[in-house]
This record gives sequence, structure tokens and C-alpha cells, in this order.
Amino acid sequence: MNNSFIIAGREYADNARTKGFWINLLMFPIILVASIKVPQLLEEKAIPTRDYILIDQSGELGDVVQLAVDRQYAAKVAEALSSYYMANAKGGVGNEIDLEKMPSGGLDGMMSDFLEQDPGALDSLMQPGAIDSAVAMMQFGLNDDAPEFVAPRRPFSKVDVPTGIISATELGTMDSGEIVSRLRPYLLGDKYLTTDENKLFAVIIIPQGAAAQVKRGGAAGMMQQLDEKDGVQFWAKNLADMSLSRAISSALNEHLRTNEYQRLGVDEEIVSQVKSTQMLFTSFDPSKDEGEEKVSMADTIRQFAPLGFVYMMWIAIFTVVNMLLNNTIEEKSNRIIEVLLSSATPWEIMSGKLIGIAGVGMTMMVGWVLSMIGVLMYMAGPQVEWAATLLEVISNSGLLPLFGLYYLCGYLIYSGLFLAIGSLCSTIKESQNFMGTATVILMVPLMTMVFVARDPNGTLAQVLTWIPLYTPFVMMNRAAADPPAFDMWGSAILMLVTIVTMLWVSSRIFRIGILRTGQPPKLVELFKSLTQSLKNQ
Amino acid sequence: MTALKLKNLVKRYGDFTAVSDLSLEVPTGSIYGFLGPNGAGKTTTIRMILDIVKPSSGDITILGADSAMDVRNRIGYLPEEKGLYKKMKAWAIIAYFARLKGMPSSEAKTRAFELLERYGLGDFANAKVETLSKGMGQKVQVLASIAHRPDFVILDEPFSGLDPSNQQVMEQVISDLNKEGATIIFSTHVMSHAERICDRILLIASAKKVFDGTVQEAKDLLPPRVRVTGDFSAAQLIELPSVNDCNIDEDGMLNIDISSGCTPQQLMSECFDAQLTLESFEYRQPDLHDVFLHLVGEEAKVATLR
Repeated sequence: MNNSFIIAGREYADNARTKGFWINLLMFPIILVASIKVPQLLEEKAIPTRDYILIDQSGELGDVVQLAVDRQYAAKVAEALSSYYMANAKGGVGNEIDLEKMPSGGLDGMMSDFLEQDPGALDSLMQPGAIDSAVAMMQFGLNDDAPEFVAPRRPFSKVDVPTGIISATELGTMDSGEIVSRLRPYLLGDKYLTTDENKLFAVIIIPQGAAAQVKRGGAAGMMQQLDEKDGVQFWAKNLADMSLSRAISSALNEHLRTNEYQRLGVDEEIVSQVKSTQMLFTSFDPSKDEGEEKVSMADTIRQFAPLGFVYMMWIAIFTVVNMLLNNTIEEKSNRIIEVLLSSATPWEIMSGKLIGIAGVGMTMMVGWVLSMIGVLMYMAGPQVEWAATLLEVISNSGLLPLFGLYYLCGYLIYSGLFLAIGSLCSTIKESQNFMGTATVILMVPLMTMVFVARDPNGTLAQVLTWIPLYTPFVMMNRAAADPPAFDMWGSAILMLVTIVTMLWVSSRIFRIGILRTGQPPKLVELFKSLTQSLKNQ
Repeated sequence: MTALKLKNLVKRYGDFTAVSDLSLEVPTGSIYGFLGPNGAGKTTTIRMILDIVKPSSGDITILGADSAMDVRNRIGYLPEEKGLYKKMKAWAIIAYFARLKGMPSSEAKTRAFELLERYGLGDFANAKVETLSKGMGQKVQVLASIAHRPDFVILDEPFSGLDPSNQQVMEQVISDLNKEGATIIFSTHVMSHAERICDRILLIASAKKVFDGTVQEAKDLLPPRVRVTGDFSAAQLIELPSVNDCNIDEDGMLNIDISSGCTPQQLMSECFDAQLTLESFEYRQPDLHDVFLHLVGEEAKVATLR
């Protein structure tokens, strides 16, 4: 057994010394930081304020459109103000976020619910000086060293038609087609609006009588013959950024409906009251104690945490078993294996490799977790407080020991498989043939991951549970959903039996394959030599 | 004392017989050469001795044990195809294999540096194996296989791939080991090495033992050879009583097979009597190369020798 540890030590040192290992270890926090920071930076820097031209020939809808754009900005300011407060509040507001109490939709859900009910709620923020006074009101609750609040930039800004293109008198009556053809070079980016090279993002044309172009529902709507050119037109080359067109169209619809209520003699006040009514609807979890059955954010995290674990497990296992494969092939092609075999039994060599590489995998995962904690501590801010709370919820959920256990089982099953493949091939190229099939098998847990999480005790989950190759992944995935004891223990026993068989068979194959040269054997041949070696025992 | 005893050893792979009915005794402290053409079964025999490959039938006793695995810490092995972990340092790889053979970690390290120093690689002790030349790498591997001071050393083709000066170092290593009391088996197909170093040789061809004995015994298998040049033809020589046969070799010299019981002196005086003018007269003992070709090259003779 002593030799196993000497071999394990060498395997560990050899793999932990490679550049790939360190790149792998370092990439994780870098990606983590990048995934938090880059969207923030992009939001702040990359997307410029976009200019649009609004041509209102109807004299009616222009104000509606403008209000929609302003409200969109107000919502952004409100968001910025709240995260500014959360980041700089005395004692840190983040600690007060209690995921156990928060509704399962999260903060975003609360905000959008709120705005949907009352679109005008933030209108006060649009008043001049409103932002400053809001900041002033917060001031007493903020840390002394809080940085000054910087209001976000306007995403969209209204500009006038460039001089000399369309005269003011023409503007009111000109055909929309003509307007577009004159502004087309600006829209296409061939010409700039001002000297600072601002491109024209969009042109919104509201022709005369556009307000009458109303699509109706029901049978009457089917008979309608409407020309799109008579309605409100939104011209933009960039089709990806739909926030402006969406905001405008929903504001227009809102406006239209209000008018319709008036036309039909419905009291607007009543309508808005009716619109803000809601049924009391709450999700409950039958497995929780009385009085605490309400499904909270923490419950949702607990439900989805296994998904993260499955993914991490998958990556860790396959990084590591690939090391095992390459290592074995290196030893084979170098013929080092012969010297090893004269110094240690095949079982010692195999177990040494398994232990050493498992250590590499453990180091990698510990490294990931440590770097994640490091990053979280280094980067303060609302998202980080969130992530920290999330970590806490996960570590209290009892999933971690299960993760450790299922990782180990998964590792042993797949390392047995890959070790056998490695011992049968003399070059990496040869192993690629096997790898093709192996990869297809390996992809299954990843592809079914989401479906299993959604229906953890469903047919798919149950079927996959009883395939030992997938048991670790699927059972990890199901862990939060209290799978039936039969599934849990039964599959665990089957898995353990498989692991023992797998390691035993692969140690036989290892013995036979390790001194082979040339082409990997055919399946029949392999089976023959396996039974042969059994007879010799 | 017998360090290794093989008894009726057979190894079959399916229908193919790699080693057929091989018996051998290697005395303790001797240097034994395994000779034979490529594919004769040398490496298979060595692998069976080391218990890496199980024999189909037959018995092996090595250092008093039934399996080399039981005494593996007393055995050193250099395989035919050389290879090392590319990313490891020279000293570390030597120390690693010494530790696998039961040497304590600190002692293994000291020993590694000492060996590298002694055989001229002291400057490369901290170099990674991938930066070493092929010859140096091979030397490192040889040192790795003997670092644990084995009692029994098996070297499969230790000279292949080495330049003449390194071959000399290799010979030095072998004789040093032997002086320290180790029994050594090495395989080669370079006869001059075998002739210089070996006490005894085993000659295998087509999976079968062809010869087993001391170098002198092997040489005695062939009569002494006489080569002459002069103002006469092969036909004239054959008429002399002490000449059994005569033919012209590729150098244009006349190769004489002396009749049994005759001596070169007799031949020389017969030439003198027959008034054949000798320009050169060369008499030498056959070397292992001749024996090898004689035994392995001609199937008929192999059959009679068995």
C-alpha cells in the first residue's frame, strides 16, 4: 500500500505542476469577476446615449411617446438609487436581506409588479432636482465615506431634425416615406447628427390621423383593412435593442386604452383601481413546518442549488479523468509502465493513480471555492452580499456532504472507465476513437440536468437514477426534492456494486492492456483475454 | 549459489509461441548475456522473470522466491524501450523509482545526486528530463533502475542508442554493479559487448534456447579459422590433407576450414612443402559474432545443436 501513496504523490505533483491546472484554477475567479463586472462596465461605458428623432404630425401622441421615454429613464434612476443606498447604507443593508423572508420572485419581480400596477409611480423622480432631494433624504442613513451619487446616463435622448434637411413648415405635412428617405443616410450611419459623430438611432413618425389607426379585437378586427404606413412608425437599423420600441408601443397602447374607456364612458379612476386589484396568490411548500410553509427565495435557491452542484461535479470529474487518461497513455507510450510494473503491482499502480488524481480534483474544487470567497470579499456591493447569503443558504442546506459523496462515486466510476480506455490505447489519437462514444454517454447528465431539476421525482429522473453511470449526477440533482428512500438507497447500493465491479474489471483490463502495443484490441478479443485471465487466477 | 533458475519455461500468445521450453541457471554474482536475433523471445523471457507476464507453463525461482514480485525491492530493471516522465527532474525521477523499491525518501535523494555525479551527469541533476539528450536520458533511466542497490539487475538492451563513450560508461556501470556483488542479466545483439563483459551467455533463436554456457565454450563450438592469401587457388589448397574445405570470402581472401585434429602449424608446413607462396597467413579464434552467425544463421546447424 505504501507504493500506492508514493505513486499517488507523484501523480498529484505531476498534474498540479502543469500550466493547465493553474490556468484552470485561476480562470474560475477571473470569469467570476468578469461575469459580475463586465455587464456593469458595459452598461456604464459601452452603450452611448442613443439619439432619436420624434416627428409628431398628429399633435396628440408625441407627448405620450416622450413620457414613455422619460418614465423608462426614471425607472433606471430609481434602480440606481436603490442599489446606491444598499451599497453605502450604514451597517450594510445587504445583511438585512433575508432570503428566507423574500418572496420567490426576488427584487426584480417586486419592482416590475409595482410599475405594472402604477406606471406613473416614478413620475415625481422626473421633476427637476428630484434626484438631488432623494439623495439628500437618504444622506443620514449612509456611511460617512459614501461616494457621491452619480445619476445614470439617459439611454435615449430626443434630438431635432438636422438643419437644412426638412424645414419646420414642411415637417407637419410631409409624407412619411419622404421623411424617411431624407433621414435615411443618418439612420444608416452614413451621416452624423453632430460633430461628435453621434449616430441617429431611431426615427419615430406619427402621421396625421395615426391615433385613429386602432386595431380592434373580435370579429370586427378581422374585417379591418389597415395600412401600416398610416400608423405610428418606428425606424431603426439596430433591431437588437428593442427597449425603446417596446416602451413606446406599450405607452401608446396604455394611452389608447385610457381614451377608449373615456369614449365608452367608463370612469378612468375606476379603471385604474380595478387594474391594481390582485388576487391573493401564494406558493406553499407542504414539506415545511406549519407557519413557515410560504415558499421563500431561500427555498427557491435550495431547489436550484443542486443544479449548480451537478454542473460543478460534471466539470470537475471530466477535467480530472481526462488527466488520468492522458497520464496513463503517457506512461504506456513511454514504456515507463514496465518499470512501474517491476516495482509495484498493477493494483498499487492503479489505486495510486486514482488517489493522486482525486487529490488533484479536490485541490481544484477547494481552489474554486476559496477563490470564490476571495472574490466575494474583495468585491463589496449588493450582488456580492447576495452571493454571500446564497453561499450561506447552500452550506446550511445539507447538500454539501451529499455533493462530496456523489462526487467521489462519480469520480470512481468514470476513472475506472477512463483508466481502462487509457490502458488499451498507446496514443492519445487512438483514445479519441473511444472518447467519441464516451463523450456521448457523458453528455446525457448535462443535457437532462434541467429537466430532472424541474421534475425531480418524475419518470426521466427515476429512469436515469437506475443507470449507475448517471446515478451520481441525477441523485445529486434530486437531492433537494426528498427522493423516495427506495430510489436513494437502492441506487446507492447499485452504484457501489458498479464501482467495485468497474474498478475490478478495469484493473484486469489495466493488467492486460498496459503492456499491449499497437492497435487497441477488438471487443471480442478483449472479452477473450478477460475470461482467459480469470481462468488463470 | 543460483540467483535465478528457469525450468521448462513456455509462453504462448494464442497460436504463437514466444518462448519454448527454456531452462536456465544463473549463478549468483555472474554476468549473463542474453543474445539472440530480434523477436527471438529475449524480452518475453525477461518479462516472465520479472513476473510482469505470467508464463503459460514452467517454473521460475529468483533470489529464492517463486515470484519476482516477492523480492522486487532487490531487483533492478531497465526495459528495452526507454522512457521517462518528461516533466520530472533527473534526480527526482531516480529518487522516485528508488523509493518505489523501498528506499527511504531522504536516502533516495542523496543516492540520486551521488549517482548522477559519479556517472558524469552532476550538472544535469536539476534539469527536466525533456531537456536532456536521448543518451543522457537513457543514462538517467539506467541509474533509476539501479539506485536502490539491487542484488539482481536485468538490463534489456542497455547499449542501444548510446554513443561509444557512453557505451563505455554503461560497461563501467555493469562492472561496478558486479563488483558490489550483484547478479546481472543483460540482453543485447552487439556481440562485442557480450564478449567483453559476460561470464556466460544464453543464445535464443526462434523462441528456443540454442546455446547456454561460458563465452569460451561458445567459441569452442567453432574450429579456429585460418585466412590466407597467396599465389594459388582454392582448388590447390583443398588437396592438402589438413584442409577440410576452402572458399573465397568477400575480401578476396581464402577461408580455410581445418580438418579435425590438425593444427595451423601443420597447415603452414604443408603449404611450404607444396611450394605454395603465402603472402599472408591469419589465424584466429572465432569470436562471438562468428558463433552467433554460425548458430542462428543456419537452421540446420541449430537443429543438430539442440
